[in-house]
Amino acid sequence: MTMTTPDQIGSVTPARRRPYGLLLVATPVLLVLWLIIWPIISAIITTLWVPTPEGSAFSIETYRFFFSDGYSLSNLSITLWTTGVCAILLLVVCLPIALYLRFSNTKVAAYVQGLAIFPMFVPSIILSFAFIRVLGPNGTVDLLFNAVGLPKIRTPYLTPWGPVIGLVWDNIPLTVLILLSGLGNVSNQAIEAARDVGAGRFALLWHIILPRISNSILVAISFAVLGIFSAFTLPYILGPAAPEMMGPFMQRTFRDLYDPQTAITQAVITFGFCIVFGLFYVRSVAKNRAA
Amino acid sequence: MKRRDFMLAAGTAAGALMLPRMSFGAEGVIDVYFSSDQNVIDFWTNVVKPKFEAANAGITLNLVDGGDGAGVAAIGDRALAALASGTDPQADLFEGFDTRVTVDGIAKGLYVDFETAGLSNYSKVNPLAFDIPTNLPYRGSQVLLAYDTTKLDPANVPKTWPDLVAWIKANPGQFIYNRPNKGGSGGNFVRRAIYEVNGNDPSLFTVDNYSADKNDTMLKPAFDMLLELAPSLFDGGAYTSGNTQSLQLLGQSAVTMIPAWSDQALSAIAQGVLPETTGLVQLQDLGLPGGFTKLGVLSNGANKDAALKLADFLLTEEIQSAVLTELGGFPGVSWDYVSPELRERFADLIPQTIPNFPSGEWEAAINDGWYRAVAPNVDPAS
Repeated sequence: MTMTTPDQIGSVTPARRRPYGLLLVATPVLLVLWLIIWPIISAIITTLWVPTPEGSAFSIETYRFFFSDGYSLSNLSITLWTTGVCAILLLVVCLPIALYLRFSNTKVAAYVQGLAIFPMFVPSIILSFAFIRVLGPNGTVDLLFNAVGLPKIRTPYLTPWGPVIGLVWDNIPLTVLILLSGLGNVSNQAIEAARDVGAGRFALLWHIILPRISNSILVAISFAVLGIFSAFTLPYILGPAAPEMMGPFMQRTFRDLYDPQTAITQAVITFGFCIVFGLFYVRSVAKNRAA
Repeated sequence: MKRRDFMLAAGTAAGALMLPRMSFGAEGVIDVYFSSDQNVIDFWTNVVKPKFEAANAGITLNLVDGGDGAGVAAIGDRALAALASGTDPQADLFEGFDTRVTVDGIAKGLYVDFETAGLSNYSKVNPLAFDIPTNLPYRGSQVLLAYDTTKLDPANVPKTWPDLVAWIKANPGQFIYNRPNKGGSGGNFVRRAIYEVNGNDPSLFTVDNYSADKNDTMLKPAFDMLLELAPSLFDGGAYTSGNTQSLQLLGQSAVTMIPAWSDQALSAIAQGVLPETTGLVQLQDLGLPGGFTKLGVLSNGANKDAALKLADFLLTEEIQSAVLTELGGFPGVSWDYVSPELRERFADLIPQTIPNFPSGEWEAAINDGWYRAVAPNVDPAS
């Protein structure tokens, strides 16, 4: 293989250069087409071409059933609720951590960072059972409260708050890392300059820091939302029997009700919601590139 | 050249290592294929194999994990093909297998008919467990009620369904069962409720008699009954997502009583997951459903006679008592044939009947109906 220096590349006409680049990305693009795009298309076709006695025919019956079935809709709405609450809580929890890590140079910060990244290495199935031990009924928290004479808490286990707490904990590392990388773009000079003209802490956050990391916030939220929307293990073990989140709902429809077509319909609808957040992410990346 | 020599030597060595696996069913080595879980294979490795080999010099057991039912079924199909071509099936005994699964297997005489096989212990098999003559039941497992004896005196424990319902309502928040599709303990609790509203007659349910109108007449009343029970359950109507989570809540003393698989409950007590003060009881009007694990012996296996000897050995008091004490299962033989001391210890668990609820379309109907009728009508956030 011959190596070309940047100068030489500049002299090569665009028409000659293009095939090499395309070849380099061919493998991932083909994999994405084969393993992601094609299954999506085939799933949509499966849900729209319903088998009838006279062969398969076009029908939106499966979607009509989903959107007219109160049980399915309540599952969808609990999924949206969980995702929304998790996104807000993640920001509330992770932004202060990221700000602290960005502006502190003490030894403690290193430990805090290690602690914030820790959940990444805990498999969610282990997290779930640990959650039952700690926050579950008569769990560690109850025992500690009891020891100091406080009343028992009402356990979030098997309520919609169970998966929320678990998912937030599980998503802290990724969110903190993305926010932290965004905060790297905030220069110390800009902050010092603002301080010199008398900006307070909140003015600093609102006018200097947040505008510079809005992109990172959007990316962090998109990533978290995409993962949470289709989460399975935590809602399955920690959540209530009904309403279910879409992940357990799809799995149950597929495996326990032997109804693949309805399960695929649920998957397509889930995908439809996720693609909106995916587009947010793509848009912000494109905006970053342009800038 | 050196490299090539090395590759040759390595290849030969690897081939030699693989040889025993590829060899034909050896004389004196019984090939046993399992569909059951690891705890059962451990039981065979640690209890059955050493005892049997000590009692029968010259015969050894080769225990093979078939993965699951489908895995063993594939070996069964291979054995049927071997029967047609008169070759060695390289397998002798299938554990945890229903011989009906091999299409045409019974009709073509692939499996030994135990009624005519002359097993000395065959007459001891629990009459409740008999199925078809080519399936030999050797252990059982049933859902029963596990409870905390420190909170509920064993003398007052409910022993019929109406008593159980009355107890749950009188002690709100002290009972929980898991979602019926997420584990057999809750699943069979729900099925017991279905029996209750259908006159406790398990014969009304067969694998192929489900229809949509039966959903309304036979299942719906049971769901209504369970829904009425919901406010008295743990947290006003919460349902765990599996057998293990129910055990955990009982272990954390968050509830007083749960339905549990007999083997899981007994091994949980043995391992200290549940405290020693855990009591177990079976309903005496109609037990919670469960089932027996069967085995089949291939009629064309190279070690058929030794395999039958092994099947007979499994029904001895020695192994059947070990099923109770080591595996935490039920004996496949009648309770008269386990030691009196064990019979005394497990007296509360001895079932009058072991109903076995059919799967098929009933299963999907129950899984869907329960979620729509029972689970959502309680606001979990309330």
